[in-house]
Amino acid sequence: MNTRRMVSLGLLILVMIISGCTGNASTEKTKTLTLWYWNRSLDDELIKSVEKEFPGIRIDAQKIGGDFKSKLKTTLAAGSGGPDIVAFNDWVAELFTSSDRFYDLYELGAKDIEPDFLDWKWKLGVTPEGTMIALPIDTGPTALYYRADLFGEAGLPTEPEEVHAQLGTWDQYFEAGQKLQEHFDQKVKMLDNITNIYTQMNAQSERIYFAEDNTFIGETPESSMKTAWDTAVKASQMKLSANANTSSSEWNAAMNNGRVASFVGAVWMKEILMQAAPDTSGKWRVARAPGGDGNNGGSFLAIMKTSKYPQEAFEVMKYIQSPENQVQSFKKINLFPSAKDALDAPVMKEPEEFFGNQATGEVFSESARNVKPAYFGGKFANVNGIVNRELSSVALQGKNPDKAWEDALARVKKELLR
Amino acid sequence: MDNPMLNRTPVEQKPVPKHPKSQERLSAQIWKHRKEYLAISPFYILFAIFGLFPIAFSMFLSFQKWDGIGEMTYNGLGNYQFMLTDPEFWRAVGNTLLIWIYSTIPMLFIALVVAFLLNASFVRFRTFFRIGYFLPNVTSLVAVAIVFGTVFSNNYGLLNYMLSLLGLNSIEWLNKTWGIQLAISVMVIWRWAGYNAIIYLAGLQSIPTVLYEAAKIDGASGIQSFFKITIPNLRPIILFTVITSTIGGMQIFTEPQVLVGNDGGVSGGGMTIVLYLYREAFVNNYFGYGAAVGWGMFLLIAIFSIVNWKMVQGSPSND
Repeated sequence: MNTRRMVSLGLLILVMIISGCTGNASTEKTKTLTLWYWNRSLDDELIKSVEKEFPGIRIDAQKIGGDFKSKLKTTLAAGSGGPDIVAFNDWVAELFTSSDRFYDLYELGAKDIEPDFLDWKWKLGVTPEGTMIALPIDTGPTALYYRADLFGEAGLPTEPEEVHAQLGTWDQYFEAGQKLQEHFDQKVKMLDNITNIYTQMNAQSERIYFAEDNTFIGETPESSMKTAWDTAVKASQMKLSANANTSSSEWNAAMNNGRVASFVGAVWMKEILMQAAPDTSGKWRVARAPGGDGNNGGSFLAIMKTSKYPQEAFEVMKYIQSPENQVQSFKKINLFPSAKDALDAPVMKEPEEFFGNQATGEVFSESARNVKPAYFGGKFANVNGIVNRELSSVALQGKNPDKAWEDALARVKKELLR
Repeated sequence: MDNPMLNRTPVEQKPVPKHPKSQERLSAQIWKHRKEYLAISPFYILFAIFGLFPIAFSMFLSFQKWDGIGEMTYNGLGNYQFMLTDPEFWRAVGNTLLIWIYSTIPMLFIALVVAFLLNASFVRFRTFFRIGYFLPNVTSLVAVAIVFGTVFSNNYGLLNYMLSLLGLNSIEWLNKTWGIQLAISVMVIWRWAGYNAIIYLAGLQSIPTVLYEAAKIDGASGIQSFFKITIPNLRPIILFTVITSTIGGMQIFTEPQVLVGNDGGVSGGGMTIVLYLYREAFVNNYFGYGAAVGWGMFLLIAIFSIVNWKMVQGSPSND
């Protein structure tokens, strides 16, 4: 092979590599919309049906694995090469400061569909300045999961309505826990871990760490931070917790072994519980949570400013999140609806074997209707991480709760200075 | 793991070409050998893109405030100031040093013993053992961390099961600061002892046998020849392993991250410097601060390498 042929071969390879990066180019007839989401955040078949519904639009759906948030932020930092439509999780408020990177959905016609959605969920995607960057996908209403058999043995109520009536406040719930643990000679614990108590109590509240002008309000009585902390510490001091961290193998084992009699969790914990504790099928029930209804998690869709077809992207999103399609997604992959009408769908009233033929959908829809709109603020995750770290050293290492609270506050204040 | 310090041989000081004519000659030389330069260019291009640029950029970034998406704002020495007054940073430094001490000293000792045994004439199937000891080093670190996680698990772990067989109370390993650090150290020892043993073995085999024979004739005991012949001759090898283990130890990340998570477990017992850097930059989105922590770590590693070098080198008469 002589030099010239080598050079031209090299050039050919180079051209092929470069052109490979710009594949999927849209032609005049078909417009390609790239979609980034993670496994089970959207129904795959529903995405496929988009191309049938909208002739001339091609959907390039990409499942992004691993740390979705970092990958999205890296792409945003690069400023190009991102998708048209992108899914967000409940950290949507972290992107409010960069709202100029996304299309204002109100300008694309979101006002028309606003009445269809749950008010509090809709507001989570709207910045304090009033631009809407994200359209709701699913929600995560919370409720109390409990073992009806263990409750019954310990002389506690077993029917969901009775449980809600008699265990409606956190104090009543803790007292019942003490009674249950005495009956089982402390071999069964009332709840999984105290950081979960803290999380779920905040999820029931309107104000957590920040007021809408982003001032820190954790110490004032109107926020839930201090009361949630005190309640969690109380649960620890009453020794009601099994100290099994959520989403750990310890938690799975504790659920399957019947070491934990109840926990407060979002609707998506249903699936996790069913996989973790197959041996306890039929013994679980769901009741409205002590302390009130709340929301934990749930995701969104947004359109990036780099998209060439924002209007088309919005129409596709509107289609995917229509009440009918939300019902389908709930049936297929258990995405709990954010559309009001979908909450009344017959599928919500279907009995579930794992929960002793209770229709848990009814409990969760009632919870979803009563969630209060909350403001999270851009630094929610950072502050929440700090408080949770201190709380787990109280629970697991016996750190003095007052010292831990002081340490947490000091750290939060340092955090907010930078 | 390579060690640039050992490969460095003193370079002769050549007069710098000052005459324009000699510079021309240099560019002419490059042009003359353009094909050769083209052939070796991929490494330098890739290094410039993926090595040099990130290093320079992280230096620039450490003086900025940046959340990864929005505008960068100049922050002066603010990030470094925050770092020096940040108790969590110093805790991470302390944890890293502790884990380094718990792991490196036993590891190098075990490696030396293993190398000595692998070199001994009475051991059979030596190749098999050499491969066996080296194997942990090529095992996926994430898999290792998951396995050790189940070994040290609080309620259903293998270690606690063994304690219960002995009639002892179980220990909540991963809820205690020392327990987390012990678990990480054990992982490091398990993974790197064989690697260092192979390096020691190469060193042992390079010592001329005549030295031992001469010592034997002179009536030296086994222990005497070990300390008077083996150790002095192994000194450069020991220096190499100590420095590479120090650099590796300062950069420990995957073990604690997979074992106890981004927060370094309860009370941050497993929070190492790199894990702290990762959390601040990629979880909390303080990219400027993360870059500053990276440079802080660079300084620490440099200091430690120099200290190690001076210590292991020992008295100048041996050189």
